[in-house]
Amino acid sequence: MTVKEFKLPDVGEGVAEGELVSWQVSPGDTVSEGDIVAEVETDKALVEVPSRYDGTVKELFAEEGEIVPVGDVIISFEVGEVEEGDEEAEAPDTEAEPGESTDEAKTDTEEAAAAETPEGRVFAPPAARRLARELGVDIADVEGSGPGGRISEQDVRAYHESTEEHDETADETPVTPGEEEAETPPGAGASETVSASDSPEAMRETTLATPATRNLADELGVDLDAVPTEKTRDGEAFVEEEDVRAFAERKESEGAAEAAAGAEAGAASTTAEPEREETVPYRGVRRTIGEQMATSKYTAPHVTHHDTAEIDQLVETREELKGTAEEKGTRLTYMAFVLKAVVAGLKEYPILNSELDEEEGVIRLKNYYNIGIAVATDAGLMVPVVKHVDEKGLLELADEVQELAAKARDRSISREEMQGGTFTITNFGAFGGEYATPIINYPETAILGLGAVEQRPVVEEGEVVAAHTLPLSLAIDHRVIDGAEAAKFTNTVKEHLAEPTKLLL
Amino acid sequence: MVVGDVTTGTEVLVIGAGPGGYVAAIRAAQNGLDTTLVDRDAYGGTCLNYGCIPSKALISATDVAHDARNATEMGVHADPVIHTDEMQEWKEGVVDQLTGGVEKLCKANGVNLIEGEATFVDDSTARIAHGGEGQGSESIEFEHAIVATGSRPIQVPGFEFEHEPIWSSRDALDVEDPPQELLVVGAGYIGMELSTVFAKMGVDVTVVEMLDGILPGYEDDVARPVKERADDLGIEFNFGEAASDWEETGNGVVVTTEDEDGEEHTYDAEKVLVAVGRQPVSDSLDPEAAGVEVDDNGFIHTDDQARTNVDNVFAVGDVAGEPMLAHKASKEGIVAAEVIAGEPAALDQQAIPAAVFTDPEIATVGMTEDEAEEAGFTPKVGEFPFRASGRALTTGESDGFVRIVAEEKAGFVLGAQIVGPEASELIAECALAIEMGATLEDVASTVHTHPTLAEAVMEAAENADDQAIHTLNR
Repeated sequence: MTVKEFKLPDVGEGVAEGELVSWQVSPGDTVSEGDIVAEVETDKALVEVPSRYDGTVKELFAEEGEIVPVGDVIISFEVGEVEEGDEEAEAPDTEAEPGESTDEAKTDTEEAAAAETPEGRVFAPPAARRLARELGVDIADVEGSGPGGRISEQDVRAYHESTEEHDETADETPVTPGEEEAETPPGAGASETVSASDSPEAMRETTLATPATRNLADELGVDLDAVPTEKTRDGEAFVEEEDVRAFAERKESEGAAEAAAGAEAGAASTTAEPEREETVPYRGVRRTIGEQMATSKYTAPHVTHHDTAEIDQLVETREELKGTAEEKGTRLTYMAFVLKAVVAGLKEYPILNSELDEEEGVIRLKNYYNIGIAVATDAGLMVPVVKHVDEKGLLELADEVQELAAKARDRSISREEMQGGTFTITNFGAFGGEYATPIINYPETAILGLGAVEQRPVVEEGEVVAAHTLPLSLAIDHRVIDGAEAAKFTNTVKEHLAEPTKLLL
Repeated sequence: MVVGDVTTGTEVLVIGAGPGGYVAAIRAAQNGLDTTLVDRDAYGGTCLNYGCIPSKALISATDVAHDARNATEMGVHADPVIHTDEMQEWKEGVVDQLTGGVEKLCKANGVNLIEGEATFVDDSTARIAHGGEGQGSESIEFEHAIVATGSRPIQVPGFEFEHEPIWSSRDALDVEDPPQELLVVGAGYIGMELSTVFAKMGVDVTVVEMLDGILPGYEDDVARPVKERADDLGIEFNFGEAASDWEETGNGVVVTTEDEDGEEHTYDAEKVLVAVGRQPVSDSLDPEAAGVEVDDNGFIHTDDQARTNVDNVFAVGDVAGEPMLAHKASKEGIVAAEVIAGEPAALDQQAIPAAVFTDPEIATVGMTEDEAEEAGFTPKVGEFPFRASGRALTTGESDGFVRIVAEEKAGFVLGAQIVGPEASELIAECALAIEMGATLEDVASTVHTHPTLAEAVMEAAENADDQAIHTLNR
């Protein structure tokens, strides 16, 4: 049997790390090639990680919720015969002591390769060499995962972290992360915790740590400069995830002790107070949305124009058509009509179907109508795009909106289906309410927010009567257009919604 | 006014404002260090003032004349006249623009500039003697020093440059009134570049060289096209002869050379250009006062962070050893500045390209086939001759070839030798391939623009794998 390690692969363009959302397997499970072993969420998507081997799960190296850099070993398998030339087969035995691992665990393939590359020559690009220097790694020790053994930055990082693990466990009885957690209650005698208590808060000016460690520190509200450590890199203090966790646990237990002491002193009720605060990680899709919103809000000066469409006729028309649509298998929503009305408005006022290209110093008017529909999902707001709305019929549009929204909710939507929009509609009315201030889906120029379709009092010929109304909130980029155009556009949309027959034109 | 013994302090003192020094100073200042750059002569150093830039300017100018004169095959008939004084004026304009640019960049980055000659007093103090009578001196206390004093042409005993008919390369580049006959001592890259320039100006050029061929250090087939072109230009070569003596005649000099058998030969010439190499400038610096060790040849040895044996003293460029190339100096300067700023910088280049601006140009990077074999690789080689390049033929320059050397197993590119049009530009792709750990397949699979000379690099990579389309696979 051979132990094979599996590194978190590069799951998408420019993705450097991912959150290990869930394990689908446990140590001892039998897996076949292609079986899903884990779910990883990056800032772009939720990705399922398949096994590359037939074998038994030996060990899991990351915990659920942990941020894992691309290239890190996340799982190991026990497998049968090794296929010649399989890169992953060359992974060193993780149980080996430092020093032994690089020498004894090499396979024949590796030695053969080494024999043909003269000593001292390592094939690695300058960025990987620089990273190796930063991490204090001798690049000649790193095994390359690229073609012919070319070393990437990920290889350097993975090697560094694997040697760090060896260094740490060398002095102690080896424990898996899971065991460590189970056997080490917070503040209860684990050697690491004791030593942390011995040296209370450090007060450094500079602390080195990997991005994942920094993220963890942020999440736990820990000041990295205060975390005690004896490890150094390039003469600076170097803190790792374990140090941060130990420190946070100690602080927490100290805090609990203080709270308990305070409670006793004040002779307060013995009933435990509910937690005053809890933290929710700000990352993945949530962070991406946040960043995009901030970019939009602080780049485009927003002006929001509010108006209300009276849509009695539209309500009737929809009622009439609903049955026919259902016979054809389509759920006819107001959104399909709104899409058509919006396109009518955009055709009349093309400036709203545009984007400002700041670099080129031009406003790009789009002669195509790809309308984004904001969809609330468990993970946050997603904007699938209905392409070429002007070329499609009501039923087709209704079907497409349904399909895209469903895909967005179950996270199966592709990136392509969320790209290429020229204008966006957000339907906050689905949850009730009238008006809001939508944030433009930057770099588009405008976004239309829809309130709830309800009967509201309107004045007709001096009489207050009940009418079906649809509140409209149009946010525009004031750099590109002014309020007058926003009002005119909204009027056109209103007209088309008020008289649905106009949509036929 | 006498500037007395004022002592100022600086975090980084850079001595020498050539491509090693000024680049180091700018990078140090960019990293927030208080930086002082001292030069006794001119910003830009040898490269900008007396080397790369003026020589390439004259090479380009004389090429224009020569190409125009020899374009009858293309249907162009011209008889260009060279006005050397105007050519010099243009060259000076180029140099002034660049040196002025260096000064502006230094100032814009907050580098303190001082004119004067620096001498170490100890490992934290240097004395700067200002040029000119009564200009006095000052002392600078530094936390770190970067020595970037460059190199100067080697003199042949008896042929000292102070004698009017004996030229250094610097003298040759400033000439406004070219001689009728020029004797060049040395057929290295400077001798060959300048021989070509003068031959294209219409000067009768004779070269004497102690060794038995031109451009020592280059493979025979790489140097051959240059020799053939030089022969076509009418340059006369005499190998195996060392210049031993000279004496003035009424309208020039007679130079005596001696061959291996002790036999003497004489040459009449109006001027003699001595171009037998360069040596580091370290003597004027009194490096010993700072404890900096200098070897018998005047070089200061450094580690892979450009650091000398003294912790706070760094050395970069020609003074820090071969190869004496401006781009190597700049890279070392950046590394020294970053190391001082606490960055994890190091000199870990896999190869440094080199170019000779002869006609045709030569450019090399990394290993030759023999060197790869010596290093323990099983080399794999691909070649592409420029005569098979559409673009080369349309320029009328189709001598030479691209050769690419790779290791056999994965095909990692180890080196390249190019002789032919624009070799100095084409070599950059090969240098990038080596640094990135690219393979022959990477190079061959990259789509190259057509019709360009760069296609030759792609074809050479294909040829190594017997996949070349436009040449027979070897």
